[in-house]
Amino acid sequence: MAKAKPAPIVHTERLLALVPFITAHQGISLKDLAAAFNVTTKVMNDDLTTLWMCGLPGYTALELMDLSFDSGYVTIRNAPTLRAPRNLGMEEIVALLLGLSLLKDSIGENMDFVDRINALAIRLSEKAGIPANFDVSNPVSSLIRGQIIEAISKQQPLSIAYHSLYNDEFSHREIKPLELRIDKGVEYLFAYCYKASSFRVFRIDRIQSLEILEKNPGQQSDVNDVASHGFISSIIFSSKLRLMKERFGLEDAQINENISIHSFSKQWIIRSIFASSGSAVLEAPSEIAAEIAQKAELMLNRYLAL
Amino acid sequence: MSRKSERLVNLTIALLATKRFLTKSEIFQSIEGYEGSEDSVERMFERDKDDLRSLGIDIEVGGLDPLFNDEAGYRIKPENYSLDLGPVTGEDIALLSLAAQAWKGQALNDVAHSVLLKLQSMGIDSDIDSVPHLAPRMARASDELATVLEAITTRNRIAFTYLSPDLAHESREISPYALASRAGHWYFGGLDSAKNSLRTFRLDRVVGEIQNIGKPDNFEIPPNFDLFASMNESSQTHVAVLDIRKDKAFALRKMSTNSSDKGEWDRITLNYSDASSFLDSILWHLDDVVVIEPPDLQKQVIASLTLLVKNHG
Repeated sequence: MAKAKPAPIVHTERLLALVPFITAHQGISLKDLAAAFNVTTKVMNDDLTTLWMCGLPGYTALELMDLSFDSGYVTIRNAPTLRAPRNLGMEEIVALLLGLSLLKDSIGENMDFVDRINALAIRLSEKAGIPANFDVSNPVSSLIRGQIIEAISKQQPLSIAYHSLYNDEFSHREIKPLELRIDKGVEYLFAYCYKASSFRVFRIDRIQSLEILEKNPGQQSDVNDVASHGFISSIIFSSKLRLMKERFGLEDAQINENISIHSFSKQWIIRSIFASSGSAVLEAPSEIAAEIAQKAELMLNRYLAL
Repeated sequence: MSRKSERLVNLTIALLATKRFLTKSEIFQSIEGYEGSEDSVERMFERDKDDLRSLGIDIEVGGLDPLFNDEAGYRIKPENYSLDLGPVTGEDIALLSLAAQAWKGQALNDVAHSVLLKLQSMGIDSDIDSVPHLAPRMARASDELATVLEAITTRNRIAFTYLSPDLAHESREISPYALASRAGHWYFGGLDSAKNSLRTFRLDRVVGEIQNIGKPDNFEIPPNFDLFASMNESSQTHVAVLDIRKDKAFALRKMSTNSSDKGEWDRITLNYSDASSFLDSILWHLDDVVVIEPPDLQKQVIASLTLLVKNHG
């Protein structure tokens, strides 16, 4: 990990950042200022007390910054030297370049903005003397995430086109979005589904498109997607261990050892075994193993008939 | 703590405000906080300079009047200290703010937060209504991302332990050139000098910590380096023809360059480069996909299915 900066350095950095921030937000409340800097109001109060003692050599009323914050609102005068925000550091520029690349990926065909983003990236890249060869994307569209966040805050129902990965099926659902959750880096939407008349969890990267609905859809009685119960499979790996570890979401993997995998979707297990044909064998449950053999046989016959 | 930061802020103000170089003795006399024996004040000043430089503040060292050229002087040029992004509009500020916000709660959270504060201190209102309504978010990365990033900016070589395809631990040393993310994973790449070739690594396959080795400014980053181009050993693309069942195999359908209706099925054409992962993807779709071409791929599918029957029958 990158080394953490020592406390006095972090403190100095914050003090230097405070002066231009207050200058641009004269009269900001102490509470809002503390929140902007992610510190408590107590810490912010101490910071302002320290800054109040700073200024040009001489340190008389003429040279010190004129900082007022007793009323709970903060203003600053007489701080021309530190008024401009500090230059961006190299890491800050790269963080921005990566962010701009993601933005470009999210914005799609809107060429005006793509050009705008490219121009900003070139300017930053030249400033830092570092090539802007960053290529960033995320399976979750920034547009879809933005629409969901807006719908949650306005309590608006949505119509979504959802592709279920394990069943390889498209469905259109009307939902009331409730909360975004992240589990092991995967983003989920917790929602009430009018189709299932029940609460459901959707992977956001599987939402292909969505539309904000003006009013709540009525109750629908199409309840054929019952949540499945979990079960345990026993699998043996024979090669490509890293791929197997990642595909089955394991902490570690060994050759020729029985590994127990808990899952909720039979489809996922069957598909994963097929995709890992030379490297993984399902030992149990035996009825799933039989289903795999049967399905593979059926597919083989189709090839032989070609 | 506040004594030291107070002194550092005062030193910054004094060095920024001065038009000419300030000598050490002027600094010690006029700036508050330099108290104690001559030795300890000297040491204090040396540390303070290092500390300000670690914050990216450029302290210039220069001579004084040529007639009294006996003592070095110091100053900070305002044009080096202050943020200057050139002419920027409220829309630019909005885009840059969104770019920084993508790191919220993610690996570069603190770096991005400091960027946001600077953008908000420029006195230009962010024109957020003029840009599309987006909520960008970076794919999850381990904290080692910050180490790779720092190594790229300082041109420092790095060493780490990497999981090989059979999960063996391998030691690697590279000059890192770039970072990228695709399909929810972070990648970094650069020159592996032992193998004398460009290599790409997936960040979550790194075991433990990434170490900086050697000194900064160790290499140059080639301007046209393409991380994903160096990832595939063979960048050759192949063409496949598949029959896919209607309303199925959505992932393959999205890749298709051509599609024709055959009733219950669609016949699609698509390009692929990584043969092994393409085979896995075909098999993942079970009996909703039939490989028509190329013959090699068809043979591999038949061999895989035969193995599946043998192993599970």
